[in-house]
Amino acid sequence: MNDALARFCVDHPGLLWLLPLALLPLLVSAQRSTPVAAIAAGPADGLSRAIGRVVRAGGILSFAGLILALSGPYRQGETIIRTGIGAQVSILIDRSGSMNETFAGRQPSGAEESKAAASRRLLAAFVGSRAHDQFAVTAFSTAPMLVVPMTDRHDAVRAAIAAIDRPGLDYTNIARGLAMGLSQFGPASPATSRALLLVSDGAAVIDPRAQDALRAAFTRLRPNLYWLFLRTKGSPSISDRPAGEDTPQAAPERHLDLFFRSLRIPYRAFEAEGAEAVAEAIAQIERLERDPIPYTEQRPRRDLTGLAYGLSLIGLLILVAAKLGEADLRRVRAASGPTAKPRASAPEPTRLAA
Amino acid sequence: MTDAAQPDIVYRPRGRLPGTRLGAHRGRDAGGLGTFRDQVPFLRMPDARRIDVRATLRDPFEGTFVRRFEARTLVEVWALFDLTASMRFSGEADRIGLASELCVALAASATRIGDAFGLIGCDETVREEAFLPASRARGRASDVARRLAATPCTGRRADGMVQAARRLVGPPKMVFLISDFRWPEALITRVFSSLSRHDLVPVVLGDAAEAEGLPEWGLLELDDLEGAGRRVVFMRPALRRRWIARETERAETLRRIATAHGRPPFRLAGRFDPDAVSRHLLGS
Repeated sequence: MNDALARFCVDHPGLLWLLPLALLPLLVSAQRSTPVAAIAAGPADGLSRAIGRVVRAGGILSFAGLILALSGPYRQGETIIRTGIGAQVSILIDRSGSMNETFAGRQPSGAEESKAAASRRLLAAFVGSRAHDQFAVTAFSTAPMLVVPMTDRHDAVRAAIAAIDRPGLDYTNIARGLAMGLSQFGPASPATSRALLLVSDGAAVIDPRAQDALRAAFTRLRPNLYWLFLRTKGSPSISDRPAGEDTPQAAPERHLDLFFRSLRIPYRAFEAEGAEAVAEAIAQIERLERDPIPYTEQRPRRDLTGLAYGLSLIGLLILVAAKLGEADLRRVRAASGPTAKPRASAPEPTRLAA
Repeated sequence: MTDAAQPDIVYRPRGRLPGTRLGAHRGRDAGGLGTFRDQVPFLRMPDARRIDVRATLRDPFEGTFVRRFEARTLVEVWALFDLTASMRFSGEADRIGLASELCVALAASATRIGDAFGLIGCDETVREEAFLPASRARGRASDVARRLAATPCTGRRADGMVQAARRLVGPPKMVFLISDFRWPEALITRVFSSLSRHDLVPVVLGDAAEAEGLPEWGLLELDDLEGAGRRVVFMRPALRRRWIARETERAETLRRIATAHGRPPFRLAGRFDPDAVSRHLLGS
């Protein structure tokens, strides 16, 4: 309550000096006053007293409401930090050209859907299933693209995810993507559970300098890392050792996996070879990320002028009703006047002698 | 003087009045002229001019009888006029106008038959500007009219009525107490008992707008003329019934007190009718 009062502001505070005028109805009444010989003649009546008070309050309300409305009241916008169940999820999506292909490695035709379309469909369901999850969406191909910063506006996140099946292009530069995906977390309390969801269908070599920077970022933020590897049928798995030399260049997926394992953070990799596998992986992530999360709620500035006018309207309606309900003794006199006359001219006096 | 077309108010004081000056009312003393009253033995009233020969001859004990005649005397008529602010009430009729009319008519009627008329206006005290000593002068009625027109009703209490009673010394008088009697019951009793020596005629100024004429429905903001504040009243049939019952009860209380001290009150409401006043005065 006190807090709500503190956030109450007006555009023209000078006008509030007029507020004492609202006390005028206590002194003067708008009703037509009926002079009577003795006010005690009327019996005491609770309902009348209550109506009298309501009319008086209506007067005060209409004055106060109008003055408030003229001064332009509003409630300041604010950011409220609350705690809910959920996680900060930074979704990092591969937008390289290969994502346009199906899981079979072909261009989609007919009822087939591309990897991008499948992940779009499944991620969209993931977003918004819990009210207090926060998402950031980053896409990357050769360069990373910030799509949506960390937000709890699920509509925006869904819209961002809906856009990821646009045809991708170029190659996979996973190091810069990861850096941007991590930078999305921003400052938050240490209790926040964070998850970095990497959706990609391939990997690339991370050069050692970038590796150090990433390692530092991972150590600082300690997110849960999920790698949703959309594996094209026939391509090497994460765990497959290449036949030849075991270098990052030869088996980038395997070495990325090794790199992730070496980070000493909770890490899981899901290898999905079809849409169902992707769904299963996402359901698993959803189950894992259940921690209390402080989330911020933005409350916009709210204009209270309408409310003030509404209040004064209520007061004015009371006053108008009271005015319409007014009775007038003088009108009554005019109505009963002709009937009173014959009564007064009574029969002749019977005795006049003194 | 009042309008010639308006009939006089006819009044008859209660009982027989003392006094030696010749007037229009029955006196307590036996006098030489007037209507026959009784016969008394000569020794009780040794007036040889009025020996009743017939009664004297008829008496087997040979007593001598004298006729006695009723003396006609004067009575002073006073009007005690309530000058509190509540008299400014104007409903079906203008209350102060109605009361003034009655007062002027009383003055005219009294002076026409030779009685003296006096006026005392009171609020918290006796208002000297509204005080007229009893006089038989012919122009009294217009004096009264002038005085009442010049005196504003501003008082808030009617305690002056008790003081006014102290000015009415001497033989019993005919006193018209003109007010709306919106007083505390204790004051009514005090005023009535202090005036009970006189022939007291309470005149209650009523108004239909205060009881029967109240609206069935509606919002009234009552403003007390005597400054007792304002009050919103939501009129509805139930409240109207209660209100009228209260007014009736008040009138009944006043009637009870007034009857104990003399005559029942006369209710003056709506229109001033001298004949109605006469009927009331002769009937009671």
